[in-house]
Amino acid sequence: MNESVSVLFLRKFMNRPDGWGRSEGREVYSRLLDFVEENSGTIIFKVSFDGVRRLDMSFASETLVELARRYRRTKGFCLVELTDRDIAENIDAAAEKKDQPLLLWEGKSARVIGAGPSEGTREAFQFAMGRLECRASEFATHKGISTANASMKFKQLWNEGFVLRRETTADSGGIEFVYQRIV
Amino acid sequence: MECVVRFPATWVNAPRFEVALRDSHGPHAPDSHDIVFEIPSDCKIMIDGAVRLLSLANQLVSTTRRTRLRFEEGEAGTMGYLNRMGFFDCLDPRVDVEPERPVVSGAALYRGENRMLVEIARINKDVRDDELPTRLSDVVKAACADRADVEELGGAVWTIFAELIQNIFDHSDTRLDGYAALQVYQGGNKVSVAVSDSGRGIMNTLRPVLRSAFPRLADLSDTEVLVEVFRQGVSRHGVDRGCGLKGCAAKAIKFSATLDVRLPNQRVLLVPAKGIYEPNTAHCYEGLPLLWGTHIGFAFGMSA
Repeated sequence: MNESVSVLFLRKFMNRPDGWGRSEGREVYSRLLDFVEENSGTIIFKVSFDGVRRLDMSFASETLVELARRYRRTKGFCLVELTDRDIAENIDAAAEKKDQPLLLWEGKSARVIGAGPSEGTREAFQFAMGRLECRASEFATHKGISTANASMKFKQLWNEGFVLRRETTADSGGIEFVYQRIV
Repeated sequence: MECVVRFPATWVNAPRFEVALRDSHGPHAPDSHDIVFEIPSDCKIMIDGAVRLLSLANQLVSTTRRTRLRFEEGEAGTMGYLNRMGFFDCLDPRVDVEPERPVVSGAALYRGENRMLVEIARINKDVRDDELPTRLSDVVKAACADRADVEELGGAVWTIFAELIQNIFDHSDTRLDGYAALQVYQGGNKVSVAVSDSGRGIMNTLRPVLRSAFPRLADLSDTEVLVEVFRQGVSRHGVDRGCGLKGCAAKAIKFSATLDVRLPNQRVLLVPAKGIYEPNTAHCYEGLPLLWGTHIGFAFGMSA
């Protein structure tokens, strides 16, 4: 798998430092889409907010949240260099409405904005967040639960857009999934 | 017949505007052809009242009714104040002003000098002024520069204006202009923001889709639906839309703002309780005289 990570400077795709409204958002979305398609080898995009002054919920909904939703399970989008609380709140509200989780990285720690993990998958998600990648079997051992149960939780997290995954060959010769944190 | 709307000789905010309107025959009533708004000496029209008066007067002349604003004190009184906030720049030229329209626009004179803490901006559906939310929120930031939370306040005001103004472009479905207005009170401890349009009204655009898109809300009263619009987000475009008004409410609640929503025949006043707007703390006024559109006002009462 190509594990490349790219930085996407959101400001470069915007007309102005402010992102306002759905129609402006749709315009920016198509540019973002082109960029993602041009960088087909990139699995994870770190969306940098450097230079972005304001951004409302409707704009966030049509751009980042829509992008993350469209590529859910195949590509990951996380937010970096986002210190403005107001912008973070607006993205949070937009992502929650579309049931889309997004990781907001602040230094070495991250928090989920938008949709949160369910009660049943929260621990598995925290486990995944503690390492770059992991297997369900590792969590099963850690928690003392069956691998099938752990696999189910990770599959759900993958389905809902919290983590990415790739296939590998297990020691037994079968297919095993490696779950990958979104950076 | 002549319909006279008499304002009291005191501060006129949105609630007092509504009382004056209710006590009149109803300017939009089918037999009202000649409408007079009487503004006596010592009447001071505040921003939330002013923006509703502006929308209403423009609506009335657009229906060919003779419409007059009669200022007893002339420019020495509230008329001068309205002039400085840009009221007459936005008022349809067909509306008669007595004794006479101000010759010079006070708003044009003062705008940009940061002297004014009030402003009315026109929202023309054909041309979006991209800088409008920033300009309005910058006024608030400048006036409240001493507050520790000035950045957060500026962000909240920007978001509220951005979402509410955009709603006019997306939903209001009218040829008449909308208006965004704000007023910062002395000391920066109270901020009033208002956005008005003369469109169909939020409930008229939502009601037809409730049964299919939000069956759970379909049997609720208008007040209850309106509370849900601000509490959970409801949009005629489906379940994954509608975060705008909900987000505005979330911002406003952080500053304990009351929310006043005037619809064509109703008004709902939402008061925050325990950090949210609840149906049981909503004050509802039904059967009001017709005022087209959606008129939303947030009053931030902030401790210094």
